[in-house]
Amino acid sequence: MAVKRKIIKERVPTPERPPEERVKSFVEVNLGYTFELAVKEAERCLQCPYDYAPCIKGCPVHIDIPGFISKLVQYRDNPDKAVKEALNVIWACNSLPATTGRVCPQEDQCEMNCVMGKVGDKINIGKLERFVADYAREKGIDEELLFEIVPKIEKKGQRVAIIGAGPAGLTAAGELAKLGYDVTIYEALHEAGGVLMYGIPEFRLPKSIVESEIDKLRKLGVKILTDHVVGRTVTIEELLEEYDAVFIGSGAGTPRLVNAPGINLNGIYTANEFLTRVNLMKAYLFPEYDTPVYVGDKVIVIGAGNTAMDAARSARRFGAEVTIAYRRGPEDVSARIEEVHHAKEEGIKFEYYINPVEFIGDENGKVKAVKFEKMKALDERDSRGKRKIVGTGEYVVLEADTVIIAIGKHPNRLIINTPGLKVERGRIVVDENLMTSIPGVFAGGDAIRGEATVILAMGDGRRAAKAIHEYLTKKREEQKANA
Amino acid sequence: MPYKILDKKELAMNEIWYKIHAPHVARKVQPGQFVIVRAFSNGERIPLTPVTWDREEGWITLITFVRGKTTMRMANELKPGDEILNVAGPLGNPAPMKKYGRILAIGMITGIVEVFPIAKAWQEIGNEVTTLHVTPNPMVLLKEEFEEAVSRHIVEGFDLQPGWGMQEIAQELVKRAVAKVKELLEKEHFDMILTVGPAGGQKAIFNVVKEYGIPMHADLHPIMVDATGMCGACRVTIGGEVKFACIDGPGFDAYKVDWDELIHRTGFYAPMERLAMEHYLKQLQAQGGEQ
Ligand SMILES: Cc1cc2nc3c(=O)[nH]c(=O)nc-3n(C[C@H](O)[C@H](O)[C@H](O)COP(=O)(O)OP(=O)(O)OC[C@H]3O[C@@H](n4cnc5c(N)ncnc54)[C@H](O)[C@@H]3O)c2cc1C
Ligand SMILES: Cc1cc2nc3c(=O)[nH]c(=O)nc-3n(C[C@H](O)[C@H](O)[C@H](O)COP(=O)(O)OP(=O)(O)OC[C@H]3O[C@@H](n4cnc5c(N)ncnc54)[C@H](O)[C@@H]3O)c2cc1C
Ligand code: SF4
Ligand code: FES
Repeated sequence: MAVKRKIIKERVPTPERPPEERVKSFVEVNLGYTFELAVKEAERCLQCPYDYAPCIKGCPVHIDIPGFISKLVQYRDNPDKAVKEALNVIWACNSLPATTGRVCPQEDQCEMNCVMGKVGDKINIGKLERFVADYAREKGIDEELLFEIVPKIEKKGQRVAIIGAGPAGLTAAGELAKLGYDVTIYEALHEAGGVLMYGIPEFRLPKSIVESEIDKLRKLGVKILTDHVVGRTVTIEELLEEYDAVFIGSGAGTPRLVNAPGINLNGIYTANEFLTRVNLMKAYLFPEYDTPVYVGDKVIVIGAGNTAMDAARSARRFGAEVTIAYRRGPEDVSARIEEVHHAKEEGIKFEYYINPVEFIGDENGKVKAVKFEKMKALDERDSRGKRKIVGTGEYVVLEADTVIIAIGKHPNRLIINTPGLKVERGRIVVDENLMTSIPGVFAGGDAIRGEATVILAMGDGRRAAKAIHEYLTKKREEQKANA
Repeated sequence: MPYKILDKKELAMNEIWYKIHAPHVARKVQPGQFVIVRAFSNGERIPLTPVTWDREEGWITLITFVRGKTTMRMANELKPGDEILNVAGPLGNPAPMKKYGRILAIGMITGIVEVFPIAKAWQEIGNEVTTLHVTPNPMVLLKEEFEEAVSRHIVEGFDLQPGWGMQEIAQELVKRAVAKVKELLEKEHFDMILTVGPAGGQKAIFNVVKEYGIPMHADLHPIMVDATGMCGACRVTIGGEVKFACIDGPGFDAYKVDWDELIHRTGFYAPMERLAMEHYLKQLQAQGGEQ
């Protein structure tokens, strides 16, 4: 029976804390939907048929978006049931919805394609996803679902080692555990989560949420060995002796530096160091927490991706005057729109078409200014479709007490130095099954892509889990045949 | 993943020895490598060096010199039987294990702790090792262990004068180190020099050594955070190139190190570290007051 839908053009907004208040703390900015608001937004969805729904096609892991949205409307009289059903749909493709609901660049993925965009605002898919995950967590509904899954797991008797507890590794681990493999994650840091823990700040992704997602993996039986640096504590060769397969999800953790004089002056941070001090080590609570960070009055952040926005907004919360310096123009900014918008609301200045050429220090070896070359864009485009830029020979000097470099990262060197592991331009090379040049060793996420996104890393984790399952099933059958 | 403290004692004034259950490190560690320790939930990650270890029993020993908040908290708050939250490693590259001939290995203050495993291993593979410990008395750390392990162990001690601050101690340290090294190099021939200790002292020793053109290996101590090559806090300039001491080092050719940069970088947080220490001392006082 076809129901005639009323088209509601405007999005139901999610409440946010006002900028003046939020620059004073690391508390989360966006407050998310209540059940009532979520249902109102869900009702706007046109429920495009599964085979057509363009939002699903835009989602890198193909979540059944109309499917989960419809549950909220269908069971609107029973919020717990609505959320449980919706979560079940999401979990089929995505095990970290509280995270992706917050950090996915929805405007370039599901929401970009949403047909509602032709007549009004696109459906707020990201915030609906986040709502489902948050509500489920707060009410213990996710645990309930998990308890239903765990007893059905059939043990396979094979072991898989996962390197790195970022989104790629965590997802692969979860999927493999559900398939009945004995999974152990080796994580270099003292906490699991990868960039979600050390990079993305609390005000955007509360750490308690990441911790609860990781807790769920533990309940699935995944073992996590923190403080284990693969390449030092144990090598991939050694892992292969103990495990039937290995997945590398070590991310792109090595910061790129600006190749300019003065880069090692005090007060110049890589975004990784700055954000690690602030997020993982909680330097914003210094001296309650022991790790210090130095944020002067004037901060310059170099770069304009998500990392740059996170660094800039974190620095702002220490009371600094913050400028983002980018060598290209506003149209090339790669950060999520929501983050750029939030950054501007919080009073962060943007300077375009300037490229650092020298860091100027004082007599104590501390940075005091940055010399930039002014750039200009040509009509010609590069391989990524961005306009080419060239120096103009004109310079400008901006004062800075703190400089944060956020121009990208390379994969972790300890892993890519593994003998026999094929690597191109710093990225691990994989085949269509995500297997590396070493048989039985798979890889995914930023380690194979360079810098990408949480959802792509998770998509790799899922795909790799599937490929590992096939590989190990074959291995089991061969062993049986030989026995 | 907590790691049990099997034993703990004060070896000398402010020199604390810990024996810690950390089988993943014990299994793999080589002389020249280090670990990152995070002892408390609101604590810092600090690099320390395994001095001895037992691969079978799965323990390592660490020796800290109480100098700031973390090392003081560890000294005050940890007892045998307690657990340390994190011990990650082993990290960094092992020291090169080669036959150089006659080696002079110099450790300033607790730097001597890190000299120990390297000097011992160098002696074992057929080098003739002289170790030199420059230190304020009575910190005669590991004296017997050294005497047993290497050809000759020299302690160049000096007495702390009343009213001396860190500055004066450092100045005296450098003065003593330089004088002793000069004296040794004038009289004897060495094929290789190793230094571990404060960057200022290492630079002063290097300036003496380079007059003689002797190869010199310096284990550097920049500030570290993750020590896995992720953050870049530990970057140092080596022969004009930026290197990360945690994954490219910590040992480097002393002739290539940009010493002044290293000195600046290691001192950067001094004011904040003092703040942390004051905060901690206040907390201790408050606790004392309640009792
Ligand atoms: C500040 C910042 C903000 C971002 N914002 C967004 C955003 O808003 N939206 C979005 O979609 N993406 C964002 N990204 C990108 C996204 O976080 C990454 O694409 C994603 O985390 C990659 O996942 P991964 O699992 O491949 O690697 P990572 O998250 O990098 O995890 C790798 C893990 O492996 C560990 N590891 C590394 N080497 C070793 C080793 N040798 N042994 C053991 N463990 C090791 C690391 O410690 C880490 O825990 C952001 C990135 C940064 C840095
Ligand atoms: C590879 C390596 C091996 C080391 N091995 C030993 C050892 O075996 N025994 C020992 O006593 N000390 C060792 N150190 C030095 C030790 O890490 C510092 O003494 C310790 O971090 C001081 O912490 P704190 O909070 O007590 O003092 P703080 O007040 O924080 O600092 C005092 C001084 O220690 C140095 N320092 C502080 N934080 C760090 C850090 N995160 N990384 C590096 N240096 C820092 C700085 O020069 C600082 O000025 C080693 C350092 C490195 C890099
Ligand atoms: S494209 Fe938009 S309207 Fe259609 S199902 Fe997806 S979210 Fe709903
Ligand atoms: S300590 Fe972070 S890169 Fe070396």
